[in-house]
This record gives sequence, structure tokens and C-alpha cells, in this order.
Amino acid sequence: MKRFLSSMIDGRGFDIGLVGLPLAFLLTLSGLPLLYNIAMSLQEVDMFSLGSFWRPFVGLKNYRDLFAQPETWPILVNTATFVVASIAGQFLVGFGLALFFWTNFPGASWLRGLFLVSWVMPGLVVGAIWNWILSGDFGVLNFILRETGLIDGNIFWRSDPGFSLWAVIIANIWLGTSFNMILLSVGLSSIPRDLYEASELDGANVWQRFWTITLPMMRSSIGAIIALGLIFTLQQFDLFAAITSGGPNNASNVTQYWAWDLSFRQYDFAKGATISVIMIVFVMIASVVYVRSTRHEVRG
Amino acid sequence: MSHQTRDRLLLAIAIILAGIYLFPLYWMYITTIKSGSEMFATPPTFWPTDPQWQIFGNVWQGRNMGRYIWNSLVIACGAVSVITVLGVGCAYVLARYRNIWVDIGLFLILMLQVLPASLMVTPIFVGFSQIGLLNYPRLAVILAIAAKSMPFFVVLVRATFMSVPQELEEAALVDGNSRVGAFFNIVLPLARNGILVSAILIFMQAFGEFVYSKSMIQAVELQPASVGLNSFMGPNTNEWNNIMAYAAIYVTPILAIFVLLQRRIVSGLTSGALK
Repeated sequence: MKRFLSSMIDGRGFDIGLVGLPLAFLLTLSGLPLLYNIAMSLQEVDMFSLGSFWRPFVGLKNYRDLFAQPETWPILVNTATFVVASIAGQFLVGFGLALFFWTNFPGASWLRGLFLVSWVMPGLVVGAIWNWILSGDFGVLNFILRETGLIDGNIFWRSDPGFSLWAVIIANIWLGTSFNMILLSVGLSSIPRDLYEASELDGANVWQRFWTITLPMMRSSIGAIIALGLIFTLQQFDLFAAITSGGPNNASNVTQYWAWDLSFRQYDFAKGATISVIMIVFVMIASVVYVRSTRHEVRG
Repeated sequence: MSHQTRDRLLLAIAIILAGIYLFPLYWMYITTIKSGSEMFATPPTFWPTDPQWQIFGNVWQGRNMGRYIWNSLVIACGAVSVITVLGVGCAYVLARYRNIWVDIGLFLILMLQVLPASLMVTPIFVGFSQIGLLNYPRLAVILAIAAKSMPFFVVLVRATFMSVPQELEEAALVDGNSRVGAFFNIVLPLARNGILVSAILIFMQAFGEFVYSKSMIQAVELQPASVGLNSFMGPNTNEWNNIMAYAAIYVTPILAIFVLLQRRIVSGLTSGALK
């Protein structure tokens, strides 16, 4: 006992205690649910069997049922559209802004940091604001688009099935652009300046410098940021809850919202768990890409 | 073009860009103080003609916002406490050593960081209801948020510990400190600022958390402000000035903290998330 105590205060036990407790906490509250999720996706779960662990085992029936449902494929396509359009928008706008602020004028870093407010705000508040901006009859976005002559009549962003997914994508691009921009700025500032000076002496113009120095030097940052973007986009839930609730008629539904909707609106916990399992596999793949692209930095 | 004109020109463009980007925020504040008829005017007014200041008090009382904000505070403070107490030590050990076990631990933590809350909520909800934890819904939400956000905190704080020179700790050990003593007297004070900034970031996230609270807290008296805002926004609502007032009251403290501590928050974030 005494040896154990002294090891806790002054030896290996101290380190193991410090790292063991949080890891045990994480494994209980994230690891176990992860396994439980897989178990539930193989069971028949209803309101009556919710309280017991031993529910009827049904094998892959939930998965077969899921893919037999008519709405499954459209929702998967929506998810892919949402992810690709959001990442592309966030990345391109973010990269443009990062390049602009990289020119280094007085006040640049302070103004650049200010952009990050979009990222620290509660998702529900961002959703509420865009809900109002995108409103059909009185929304300010429709007004601006009309005045600039881009559209003739109002677009009903939230209730038109052709636009409702894009309403959420616009809000999500706004939300995530600043985070992309800050991380890209970090990548840009780590490129050695003398590379540019040398190429300028050799007569390379701005365009050539961008393609032959900036982009190749940014390759690992860009990989990490796209992977992070994928992870964050697949986590986006609040905007759907605030703007469209997945409607109208699933036109803007994506898997991460659908999984919640099945569990907590339709009380079909087995289906909810089934979708969760499928999507978590995707997220895991993205995070392996992310960890790999930052690996050398993670190791210090 | 002289250097000074170039700087001024760039600064002007930057301010315009920031103005465009932050327009949604401006629109929230401006809509808040518009009257009911001005809000639906065509063309919309970009500066209110008849500001309605009493709306903040009306919404605060009418929507019972004091209770919602209090619940948000309870949840956010609870989650931050759990995360800080458990996460700091973990980050310290992961920063101090470099071997295969640390790599495995880091990998596990990075993998747990990416699990989307809306996908994890199903098994957490069912599991919590089976062990009876849902009878204490705010505690259940605190634990769920802690599990979700702790990996991010560990990654950020680990970057801080990496910047504390190990020689200082070794010197303290040579001088007769125990490991516990050296940790609390030397390492922790040196990493204090980084820990504080990371805790503030986690606090802001937990203060706006929605999925877990919405799913696990049924009683209205215990719901946080995010759930309150969600139930305020019905499908056919037209009380936009009230909703924007609610949003403004909810978000202004967070914005104030952010603007005050902006430099530290941005540098803390960038050192942890990518480097």
C-alpha cells in the first residue's frame, strides 16, 4: 500500500493515474456507446424493450430494411451534396480571404481574428439569423438578389424543395469559412518568405508563384483542413434543426439529422442506431486521413 | 503607389470584407430594435427609424429567459469543470512523453473527437435511460458534453504543455520536489494561460450546445437557452424581432468574451488544431 502511494505521488503511478482516469471516462462515455450502437443496430428495439439489454437479435435486418426504404438514397445523395458543396464553399472563400489578409497591412491580424465570431456563436443562433435572412417574402437576401437583378421573383429558400438544402449549405458555408481561413492563414505564414524573393528575382509573376510555391507548400495543411471540414460538416446538426428540420418532405434531410429524427421523433431507435453506425464509419475514415496528414506535427 | 497608401487601401478593403461577412450579425441586432411593421417593410430599412429598446426586457420576461440562461450556465460550467479536472492531467502526460503508448493514446483521443453528437446521442440516450441517469437530465447532458469535448480540450492543452520547458520541471525534481509538487507548483502555473483559453473555448461550445440537451431534457424548467430558442422558432413564425432579440441576448455575452480575448483565443486555437 505504501509503495503504491509513493508511486502515485512520485513515480510511474502518477502518470498512469493522470492519463488513465480520463481515458477510462472517455471509453465509458464514448467507447461503450459506440459498441452499444452496433449492438442496437442488430436488434429489434421498440418502446417496450427499450429498458432491457436483451432484445431480440435480428441480424442485418435493420440494414436491409433501411436500404429498402424509398427515402434512403435521396437522403444519402443530399448528404453528399451538403458535404461537397459546404467544404468547397468554405475552402474557396476561406482561402481567398486568407490570401488577402496574408498581404500584411496594419490591423490585418486583428480583423482576421474578428471573422471567427461566426464559428464561436451557438449553432442555433446562426440558424435563427439565417432563417430570417433567407425568409421568402421579407428576407433580406431575396431583397438584395432582386435589387441586383439576379432573380425576378422571391425564392422560397426554406419551403421550396429545390432550394431548402441550399439554404442550409449557405448558412453552413458562412459558419465554417472563418475557421478554414484562420487555419489556412497559419499554413501560409509558415511558408519561408525567401522562396518568394528568389522566384521574384527569377522573374515569376504572381500567378506562377501561387501555383509553384504557395499551393505545393500548403499541400499538407490543405489535406488536414479538408479532412477537418469533412468531420465538421458531418457533425452539423443545429442548422438543420433551426432552418428546415429536414423538410419539406426530406428535401433537405441529411443522414446526421435523419438518424436523430428516427430515434427521437419516430422512436425507431434501431434504425437511428443503424444509420449512426454507417455514418460513424465514414467519419472514422475521414479522421484517419486527418490524423495521417497531421501526424508528423502531432508527434512534435 | 506609396507604402502608406497601399496599407490604407488594403485596410479599407479588409474592413469592407469584414463588414460583408459580419452582415448577418448586424442584421440580427438591427431587426431586434425594429417595430413590427418596420420589420416587414419593403424595401427593408437598413437603419431603424423608430428603435424599440423595451423589446429586450419584454422578451427576457415573456420567454422566461433568466431560467434558460441559468440552465445553460449550469450545463456549461459543469461540463467545463469535468473536462478541466480530467483533461489537464491527460494532456500533461501526453505532452511529456514520446513513446508508442502516447501515440496510441493520442490516436484514440483524436478518433473520439470526431464522433458527431447527433449520431452518438441515440446509444447514449438509451444507455443513460437504462441506468437511470435520465432522472438527472442536466447531469446526463454535462457528462455527454464532457465526453464529446474533452478530446478537443486535451489536444489544445497538450500544445500548451509542449511549450513549457521540461528543464524547469527537472530542476524542481532535483531540488527535492515530488512529481505531484513539481506538477502543481511549476508546470501548472506556467501553462495557466493556455489552459484558461482552452477552457473558455470549451465553455462557449457547451453554452451553445443543442443536440444532447434537446434529446435528453424533457422538462421545460431544466432546458438551456438553445432549446428555448428552438421552441421559440415555430414553422410559421413571424415574430422575427422577438426571436432576434432572444438570439441577441443569448449571443452577446459570448461575443463580448470573444472580442476581448480574441488574440489569445485565435492563437490558442491555431496552435492546437493544426500544429
